Amino acid sequence: MNQIVTVGTSHHVAPLDFREQLSFSESQLTDALQLLTEHPEVREAVILSTCNRVETYAVTRSEDGCDVLSDFLSNYHQIESQQLDKFTYSHQNLDAVHHLFNVTASLDSMVVGEPQILGQVKEAYAQSLAAGATGDVLNRLFAKAISVGKRVRTETNIAAGAVSISYAAVELAKKIFQSLEDKTVAIIGAGEMSELTAQHLVKNNVSKVIVANRTYQRAVDIAKKFNGIPLAYDADLSFLVEADIVISSTDAPHYLIDRPALAEIMRQRKHRYMFLIDIAVPRDIDPEVSKVDNAFLYNIDDLETVVASNLKDRGQEAEIAMQIVKEEVAKFHSRLQILEVNPIIKALHQQFQGVASKELGTCLDKAQLTPKQQKMVEAMTQSIIKKLLHQPTAHLRQIALNPDLIGTVNDANDDHAQHVHALYEIFGLEQAEDPDTENTD
Amino acid sequence: MNSLFFHTLLLVYLGASILHILFLTTGNRRIAKFAYWLTIGGFVLHSAFILLRWQHVGHLMAHWYDSTSFLAWAIILIYLCIARLTHLRTIGVFVVPAAFIATLVAYTLQTHENTAIPTYLQNYWLIAHSSAIFLAYAAFIAAFGFGLMYLIEEKKIREKQHTLIFNLLPALGRSDEIGHKCILVGVILMTIGILIGALWTQYVKEIKWSWVDSKVIFTIATWLIYVLQLSIRQILGWRGRKTAYSAIVGFAAVLFTYVGVNLFLPSMHAF
Repeated sequence: MNQIVTVGTSHHVAPLDFREQLSFSESQLTDALQLLTEHPEVREAVILSTCNRVETYAVTRSEDGCDVLSDFLSNYHQIESQQLDKFTYSHQNLDAVHHLFNVTASLDSMVVGEPQILGQVKEAYAQSLAAGATGDVLNRLFAKAISVGKRVRTETNIAAGAVSISYAAVELAKKIFQSLEDKTVAIIGAGEMSELTAQHLVKNNVSKVIVANRTYQRAVDIAKKFNGIPLAYDADLSFLVEADIVISSTDAPHYLIDRPALAEIMRQRKHRYMFLIDIAVPRDIDPEVSKVDNAFLYNIDDLETVVASNLKDRGQEAEIAMQIVKEEVAKFHSRLQILEVNPIIKALHQQFQGVASKELGTCLDKAQLTPKQQKMVEAMTQSIIKKLLHQPTAHLRQIALNPDLIGTVNDANDDHAQHVHALYEIFGLEQAEDPDTENTD
Repeated sequence: MNSLFFHTLLLVYLGASILHILFLTTGNRRIAKFAYWLTIGGFVLHSAFILLRWQHVGHLMAHWYDSTSFLAWAIILIYLCIARLTHLRTIGVFVVPAAFIATLVAYTLQTHENTAIPTYLQNYWLIAHSSAIFLAYAAFIAAFGFGLMYLIEEKKIREKQHTLIFNLLPALGRSDEIGHKCILVGVILMTIGILIGALWTQYVKEIKWSWVDSKVIFTIATWLIYVLQLSIRQILGWRGRKTAYSAIVGFAAVLFTYVGVNLFLPSMHAF
C-alpha cells in the first residue's frame, strides 16, 4: 500500500544552524531528488527548502517511509541520526497531507499569513516536477495544497494588516494616499526606526525624500542612504509645505510642530493630505495637530497598537483557516481512496475492451456490413461495456470511500482489500504488484 | 409575466445588496465576486425589462414607476462603470442597496399607476431630458457613497481602529478622487438635462417654460450646490471631509428635488 510521508524541520523545532545544515541549495536539488527517487522504496518525491523550513515529501511503497526519508537526509547531509531525530518531525498519510496544507495556508509560518510560503511551495513542486520526481499522488497532493493556500488567502483575512511597525506606517500611508508614487517624505531628526520606515516608503516608490537635521553634515550622511535632499533646519519648518509624509524622531524636549503651525502649513499646501508619524520620545508633534483637517497623526504607541491588533486579528482568521484546511484534508482523503481503486477499475475496463474488440473483429470480418452498420455495431458494443461496468465501477468507488459498507465482522479496511482482491480473482485480472507501474516505468 | 419579471429583479438586487454587505462584514473575496456577478445579472435582467416595457407601453418614461425603475438601472450602470474603470467594487456596498430601494419604490408605485404623462409629452425630448437627469442623479448617488466611505475610513484612521472595514475600504485619496469625478460627471449630465428641458419648451408649444415651477427651482438649486462645491475645490483646494460632506448635502438635495417636490409642492413635472 502506498504511503504519503514527510520528514522535515522548521523554525518551530530547530535552531537556525541545524536548518542550515539540512538545507538544499538550488543546485543540489535536482541531484538530491534523483538520489531520493532511485531508492527502491520511493515512488515520488518533493523537496522544499526555504530559510525557515526544510521538508521532504515522498510516496513510498512500504509502511516505514519516514525512516527512508530520515536515512536519506542523514546520509545526504552527514548528520547523525540521533541529532536528526531530535530536530525533525515526521508525518504519515493524512497527517502528512494536513501538515502540507497547513504549510501552504501559512498556518505553520513564523508570522501566520505571510505571503512567501505559497510561492516557495509552488517553486519546490515545479522543480520536482521538472526533475521527473513526482507522480500521480504527489501531483494531486501539491496541486491541491497550492489551491488550499489560495483558498485560505481569498476566504479569510489571514494576510491582512501589517505586522511590523514600519510596515504599519507604510500601509497607513497607502490607506491615505492610495499611491505613494508622486509623494514626498520628510524625515526630521535621525533614528533607526525612522530610517527603516523611510526605506520601506522608498521601496514603495516615494518620489522625493527630504532629510532635515539640526546639523547639516548629519543630514547629508542620512540623505545618502535614500538619495535624498539634505537640509539643515532651525525653527523654520516651511519645507513641510511640500511634504506628504513626515517622520519625526528628534530628541527635542518640546513640541516641534504644533497645531497653529501645521494649520498654516496645510493652508499653504492647499489642504493636500499629510501623514505625520511621530516616533520621538518625548513627542515632537503636538497631539492637537490631529484635529487639523486632512492631517493624520500617528505616534509610536499608535503604531504598536495597530501591529498588536493585526496580530490578534490574524490569530482569529487562522482559526477559520484551520477549518478550511480540515475540510480540504477530508476531501483529499476521499480522493485518495478513490485513487486506490483506480487500478482495478482500469484493469476491468481493459479486459472488457480486449474481449470486445477481439470478438468485434471476428464478427465484422464475417458479416459484410456497410460502414454505417459497422459504426452502429461498434457503438452498441461500447454501450454494452459501459452499462455492464457502470455498477461495479460505482460500487468500487463507493466502498473505497466507505469500507464499512461491506459489512462483515472484520476490520473494514481488511475487508476492503479482500473485496478488491476477490474481484481480481473472479475476473482473472492480472494484479500488478504496483498499481500504477505503467505510470512510473 | 411582467410581475414575475419584476419579482425576480427585486430578489436579485436584494441578494446582491446582502452579499455586498456580507462582504464588508466578512472580507470574503469570493462573496465579493459573487455579489458583483449577481449585480451584473440584475443589470442584464433590468435592461431587458426596461426594453420590454418600452415596447409594451410605447414609451420609456411614461410613469413615475418607469422613471424610478430607470433611476435604479442608472445607479447600477454607474456602479458597473466605476467597477470597470477603477477595479473598485466596494462602492457596491452603498449603491447596490440604493438601487434595490429604488426598484422597491418603483414596485410599490406600480400598483397605482395614476401618474401617467400626457401622451403629447411622450416623445424623444422627454427621454433625452429625463435620462440625462436620472443618470446625473445616479452619479450623485455614487458620489454620496464615496463620501460615506471617505468619512468612515477617515474616522477609522483617526480613531486608530484598523478593523476589517479599515482594510476593505479604499484609501482616502481614492474615495475623494473618484467621488469628485462622479460629481463632475453628474454636473455635466445635469447641465445637459436642464438644457434639453429648456430647449424642449421652446420647440413644443404645449409646455411653457416657467422659472417658478418648483421642480425647476430645486433642480437648479441642486445643480448650484454641486457647481459651488466644484469651484471651491478648484480654488481653495477643498478636499477630503469637506467634499464628503458636500456630497451628502448634495444627495439630500437630489432626494428632495426628485421625491420631496412632488410630494409637497405643485409642479408641472410628473417626476
